[in-house]
Amino acid sequence: MARALSLYVEADTFVQKLDPMVKLLYILIAILIPFVILPFRWVGAVFILLSCVLLLYAKVFPRVLPLLGFSFLILISIVIIQGLFMPGNKTPAVEIFGLTFYKEGLLYALTLCIRVLDVLLAFALLVLTTRPSDLIQSLVKRGLSPRFGYVLSSALQVIPQMMSQVDSIMDAQRSRGLETEGSLWVRLKAFIPLIGPVVMSSLLETRERAMALEVRGFSASGKKTFLYEREPLVLDKILQWALIASLVISLVARFTVL
Amino acid sequence: MNKKSMWSFSFSTPVLVLIPVAVGINYVGKLFAQVLRLPLWLDSIGTVIASMLSGPIVGAISGAINNIIYGLTMDPISFVYALTSAAIGLTVGIMAYRGRINNLWRAVVVGLVVALVAAVVSTPLNVIFWGGQTGNVWGDALYAYLIAHGVPVWLSSFLDELVVDLPDKVATVIIAFLIFVSLPKRLVQMYEGEEALEKLD
Repeated sequence: MARALSLYVEADTFVQKLDPMVKLLYILIAILIPFVILPFRWVGAVFILLSCVLLLYAKVFPRVLPLLGFSFLILISIVIIQGLFMPGNKTPAVEIFGLTFYKEGLLYALTLCIRVLDVLLAFALLVLTTRPSDLIQSLVKRGLSPRFGYVLSSALQVIPQMMSQVDSIMDAQRSRGLETEGSLWVRLKAFIPLIGPVVMSSLLETRERAMALEVRGFSASGKKTFLYEREPLVLDKILQWALIASLVISLVARFTVL
Repeated sequence: MNKKSMWSFSFSTPVLVLIPVAVGINYVGKLFAQVLRLPLWLDSIGTVIASMLSGPIVGAISGAINNIIYGLTMDPISFVYALTSAAIGLTVGIMAYRGRINNLWRAVVVGLVVALVAAVVSTPLNVIFWGGQTGNVWGDALYAYLIAHGVPVWLSSFLDELVVDLPDKVATVIIAFLIFVSLPKRLVQMYEGEEALEKLD
């Protein structure tokens, strides 16, 4: 039986124990303040620093690097392309291999890097320190329909099951003579016979799964209860109000000082 | 058989079970595209099939949930593009409802429209997050060439996204169409008819 998908890292700090809703609120604020309310580079940098400290404290910092991998490549290409070609480029900054990088483009690239890192790290904080099932449960407690809660958690279970079929289908079709290597056209043609069986079997299964759920009273009306109850922490409330306060303060700062 | 309204927000149990499977199909499509080293993503086949089976709302929800799950388990930036995925589901759902996608030619047209919609929705996100780039080598090379020659950033970014999306979305809709037409009738009816399964009583 395949394990449910998750990036959660087991550790015993307050970050893991926190209400997932507080972490969602943190993401919202880490996006709203540096993007909309106070769009300055240093504000973004403060949030990056804050996220890094929390990630370090939660003992998940090493797991952040693989998450950054893909974005990192784009960020490098952003520095190159904006530094060389941005329309507003005027002041030459450095010259490497006969190519002139401009100050305006590089500063713009820096802004983009700070924004991307800010968003990525804020989400990483949620994703690495929260069990997906806990997140779903707390969303359902706050009013998300339990039926949608089921959709989310069942996706986390169905995906590994479907992925585990991939290798055996490859082998089965190859043994029937399907070519999976060669020219682009050959590989493209192989796609349908490969994906077809997974799609068919999983769509046909939906019929049975729907019936099985109905038989167990999935559509029954009435109040749903939870198998696990989470003890609310005092810290949840404190941090929640601290985050709301920071939002208010930044709004006040925006409309008075600036 | 008379269909439900296109914009119905009442979800039968089969529909709710379909959504996770659609997300799973997206994952498997992406995986096979990688294994076969295809120059396409093919990561929204499930969303397209779900829209064909049960309309724009379910398609849009499948798309959005796909990116939420992907964001939770693979790459957090994916959350941001939930908007694009939802728009893809919405577009296919509406087009499938208005005129049945019953031949390959129509599937190609739907693919073109989907690519256009996906590019329109993604462009502002790309500009906010990546200064207009997409992370695709060919698209970004075009982008660099265009802005170096004085083309406005928004247009360059749109074309950057579009060159990547056109072949990918057309291929995605064609594949989804080929799968859709070979589905057993009783399965298709379960989704497009009145909620047959819940009428057991």
